[in-house]
Amino acid sequence: MSIRNKAAIVGIGETRTDRLGSKPGEPRKSSAEYISWATRLALQDAGLSLKDFQGQGLGVTIPTAYPQPFWPEEVAEILGITPGFLQGGATGGAGAVSLLGGMAGAINSGLIDIALVCGSAAPFSEHWGGGIQPGDMRDWEIPYGTMGPNSKIAMVMRRYMHEYGATLDHFGKIAVAGRYHASLNPLAYLRKPITVQDYKESRLVADPVRLLDCVMPANGGRAYILASPERAKSLRKKPIYLQGFGERSNPSYGPRAGSDALVMGVRDAGKVAMEMAGVEHGDINFLQLYDDYIIVVYLQIEDLGFCAKGDVSFYERTDFTFKGQLPIQTGGGMINVGQPSTAGGTLHIIEAVRQLRGEGGERQVADAKIGLVSGLGVLPYGKNLGCCAVAVLGNEP
Amino acid sequence: MAEVDVRKPLPAITSEAKPFWDAAAQKKLVMQRCNDCGAWVWTPRPLCNECGSERIEWTPMSGRGEIYSFTVIRQVVGRAASQAFAPDIPYVIAWVDLDEGPRMITNIVDCPVDQVQLGMKVLVVFEQASKDVWLPKFKPL
Repeated sequence: MSIRNKAAIVGIGETRTDRLGSKPGEPRKSSAEYISWATRLALQDAGLSLKDFQGQGLGVTIPTAYPQPFWPEEVAEILGITPGFLQGGATGGAGAVSLLGGMAGAINSGLIDIALVCGSAAPFSEHWGGGIQPGDMRDWEIPYGTMGPNSKIAMVMRRYMHEYGATLDHFGKIAVAGRYHASLNPLAYLRKPITVQDYKESRLVADPVRLLDCVMPANGGRAYILASPERAKSLRKKPIYLQGFGERSNPSYGPRAGSDALVMGVRDAGKVAMEMAGVEHGDINFLQLYDDYIIVVYLQIEDLGFCAKGDVSFYERTDFTFKGQLPIQTGGGMINVGQPSTAGGTLHIIEAVRQLRGEGGERQVADAKIGLVSGLGVLPYGKNLGCCAVAVLGNEP
Repeated sequence: MAEVDVRKPLPAITSEAKPFWDAAAQKKLVMQRCNDCGAWVWTPRPLCNECGSERIEWTPMSGRGEIYSFTVIRQVVGRAASQAFAPDIPYVIAWVDLDEGPRMITNIVDCPVDQVQLGMKVLVVFEQASKDVWLPKFKPL
């Protein structure tokens, strides 16, 4: 059971992020405009046109709170293509990484030869109202005054600090590394370097979660193009191969099954992806980890096996910058670039491709050959993140 | 802009959950338990999500538990309905592990926010939120 090196990323597109539209009179763009902008950039990067996608794959991440369940079909209409295989990203923020596996599988099966995956959101310029939809969140969380993901991640963070003795210095180090990388990334939104002290002094939002723990919502669009290895060879850029892929959604179920809220589904998804790729931890040159919160980045590093659970000293001795032993978030991550809803997670694939092509500019990881990308989505009742996808990418098959 | 609705959002009394809310109105905490494998089922479900059995039965709980973790809400974020909670800030949201096993999201009440602690033993209390809905919350034992 493997899709090792059966597909390659051949194009990437990332719009600037912005927060326009919250004040009267500001210029606005729609979700449709951001998604077509990102798609145009990916097509230019690959040297392809929309016509190349007739009868081929189209994957679209589905934004949260978007009231239109048939958005992927509407995107096909906006772009003017007739897909032969249309998939919506159903795993929340993990959608872009999940679609990487899904589309690679469709390519490997011979169903399609090439796929466009895109997503956008414009939470500041399009006001959706934010109605409450049926489900556990409506019936068992919101009546208690939970404030979105902040409340649950805050409880994970407090428990982790209690059990393992991690402090704000450990989390602050990750925040500082991400912002340092953002300062070297012209597409990042938050680019002013910060110190651990700045992190510790940022205002409390939901104890112990502070402002600088949180991802920043933004308007924007993201896209990438995946192709069979044969097709990839004839295109403009060096193909970046999908060497391994693993996904675990709803990693635990039932109260007795013992959902350990401090262990993430990336533990198992990562094992599957790394085994498929045939790589060890020492082979991986960088990590691009889904980052809705600093603690989520922190937990993934240990759950992926780069250190033992609760080994806080690893975070003290490791340099996480692009020059260090374990570079993470080399473009600054969503926390600093901005999160256009579920399209946000696409950023990590795009940054991994840049690094593996050697297009990392001032923040290039020296001699990068293999990188690991994660996508996470959905915070279910009483648990840590519910949808976890991991991809191992490499610049040689 | 439409007027912001400042009423606190209420749970929907679904067919699966009605026995829970009926019991809560009598100040009793009940959850489903599987008659075949003995697992607790929470939140309310049509079948046991450990063994798949449909022989699940509403069962009284002790109402006792301990705080696994908690947060203090300092700021309203997100959906418009959240504004209804602004007057309560700061308040505590907690994961309470019931003695029987299931973990609930709830509020800790009858306790100053700076005195709430992990591992604190707590007991259920019921607060009326509407004619039909009594929300189970927890106070220090």
